[in-house]
Amino acid sequence: MSDQNIIELKDVEKRFGSFVAVSDLTLSLKQGEFFSLLGPSGCGKTTALRIIAGFQDHEKGKITIDGVPMKDIPANKRPTNMVFQSYAIFPHLTVFNNVAFGLRKSRLSKAELDQRVNEALDMVELTGMGGRKADELSGGQRQRVALARALVMQPKVLLLDEPLSALDKNLREAMQLELRRLQQSIGITFVMVTHDQYEAMTMSDRIGVMFEGKLMQVDRPEVLYAQPCNREVAAFIGGMNFVPAELIKEDGDQLQIKAAGFGTLNIDVNPNVRERGSALLIGVRPEQLEIAATKPEGYDSTIEGTIANVAFYGESVHYYVEVEGLTDVVSVAVPNYFHTVDYKSGDKVWLGLQNSSIIDLGKG
Amino acid sequence: MRSEASKGLALSAPASLYVGALVSIPLGILVVYSFWTQTYVSIDKTFTAVNYREALTDPLVRHLLVRSIFIAGMVTIATVALAYPIAYFIAFRTQKKTLWLLLITIPFWSSYLLRVFSWKLILGFNGVLNSALLSLNLIDQPLTFLLYNELAVVLTLAHAWAPFAILPIYVSLQKIDPSLLEAATDLGLSPAESFFRVTLPMTVPGIVAASLIIFIPTVGDYVTPALVGGSEGKMIANLIQVQFGAANNWPLGATLSLIAMVTVGLVAILFVVLATTAGRRIR
Ligand SMILES: Nc1ncnc2c1ncn2[C@@H]1O[C@H](COP(=O)(O)OP(=O)(O)OP(=O)(O)O)[C@@H](O)[C@H]1O
Ligand SMILES: [Mg+2]
Repeated sequence: MSDQNIIELKDVEKRFGSFVAVSDLTLSLKQGEFFSLLGPSGCGKTTALRIIAGFQDHEKGKITIDGVPMKDIPANKRPTNMVFQSYAIFPHLTVFNNVAFGLRKSRLSKAELDQRVNEALDMVELTGMGGRKADELSGGQRQRVALARALVMQPKVLLLDEPLSALDKNLREAMQLELRRLQQSIGITFVMVTHDQYEAMTMSDRIGVMFEGKLMQVDRPEVLYAQPCNREVAAFIGGMNFVPAELIKEDGDQLQIKAAGFGTLNIDVNPNVRERGSALLIGVRPEQLEIAATKPEGYDSTIEGTIANVAFYGESVHYYVEVEGLTDVVSVAVPNYFHTVDYKSGDKVWLGLQNSSIIDLGKG
Repeated sequence: MRSEASKGLALSAPASLYVGALVSIPLGILVVYSFWTQTYVSIDKTFTAVNYREALTDPLVRHLLVRSIFIAGMVTIATVALAYPIAYFIAFRTQKKTLWLLLITIPFWSSYLLRVFSWKLILGFNGVLNSALLSLNLIDQPLTFLLYNELAVVLTLAHAWAPFAILPIYVSLQKIDPSLLEAATDLGLSPAESFFRVTLPMTVPGIVAASLIIFIPTVGDYVTPALVGGSEGKMIANLIQVQFGAANNWPLGATLSLIAMVTVGLVAILFVVLATTAGRRIR
């Protein structure tokens, strides 16, 4: 990754009639970055991607790719290529001719064209499959053809619209790693749209979280997880227990608060929070809570509760604990070690919590 | 699997029987007749290929057959060329698809003969077109090349067959996923290039279907050439009609029918092969 910006979006807005699909989209992506646009269905991710590709016009704002303003540049002349959600493999052509499709315009010699297509097929591990027809391919193979067809054009930016959503879970996870590896080895900037938080986190250098057409937070996955800017982002990425609280005192980068159920706590200020009032919201990740039969030692705060529900997830067990003073049950995730003490519904338990693992989410 | 197959057979049985009865039997009779000969008032039922010899050596038959295929080919080309943009418009450029599909069937709401006669009224010596051009002082005398020739036949038939061409082409266009055209754009193609490299090859089946639907019946049409074709526009079916009518030579009529049928079949097969190969070569 270099420091040079390959894409710059400034105040981009798109309306469908009076409905605002994308608003105030401002974003700079670095050359060689793997960037994901993450958000719930209908939040405008695809629209944003299509605006970059030039398939969708936009009312306001400015897009620059590699220093060139895209205003008057039609989709077929932009230095971007796209992997479509449906893959859009040409059904009347073989795999080879699908991959060669865009190159045929460039008047390469036959030898050169063959070489580039075969290299692209090798890259996505479809060596020797050039002769197949589109309808003779599995979902994963179609996805690779779409990828090879776009990469063979050597775009400055590769756009991917939910490239893995049509694959089954195992294949999807394998492809996540493979796509990431491929991106790092060729060094092209990838912009991927997804609604799958795990996919975004495992693959991306940075993630932009979008809600209702607005980009809420852009950060590295670890930062998004540790310091989400508000309740929506926190709820969208990973599990989170939300606890209402009152601000007692703000002291530099420390907040003294009184949280429902937990009592008085001292927590760090979250630098990503943009709005703060006297009513506050804090968050605790389920895996940051300790659960014990007796009052645990060495925690900044401990509370008592009753197990309401147990859910077994394989690699972890989730306990849902009722705590006095809280309306929502507190979820606690425990790695499934062999020595884990099993609790069942109705058991009295203690929860332990460190101040450092409490996340300030700003205005409640 | 067995029950699937037998179910398929059962489902297609009524149609098969219908086709069997109404096509094979008359066809069989036609074949038998073609080997008989017409004497003055009766039919000589000794088997002979004399009709075939006569038909195949007669320059008039060859001439009419070639002309029929030429006219039908022109009608097919004109109709498909006219129908394609309309089908394209309905498939991609309008939200009111049902309305448009309904509108293109409007010609069927009046009888075919009436439609042919209206072309006569439009193209005739004192017709609509000539009167309009005369009153606009664009011409001094009525144009005579409009009616009673091949052009009139092509024009009338192309109009009559247009809906039959629009529908199969529309269906094949409708099947194209719009993201394929976006993919083509994304890979650097202009709209025209996308059309020739994606849309056109993907609609070859529709074009072939439309062409056959028009070409095959048009070769054998005798009403249109009789009404608007004049002597220059006469086709093979007019000659066949005469054999079964005025000339009262059914065996020769049967022979001519079979020769026309086989020729049309061969031309159609050749066309299908050429069109699909051409479609496959576009990459
Ligand atoms: N052509 C269009 N006309 C009208 N509204 C549209 C159009 N395209 C998208 N929208 C609306 O814009 C909003 C954003 O759509 P978009 O396809 O960008 O969502 P998305 O985030 O990609 O969702 P998903 O995850 O379901 O694909 C949606 O509410 C959608 O209904
Ligand atoms: Mg989408």
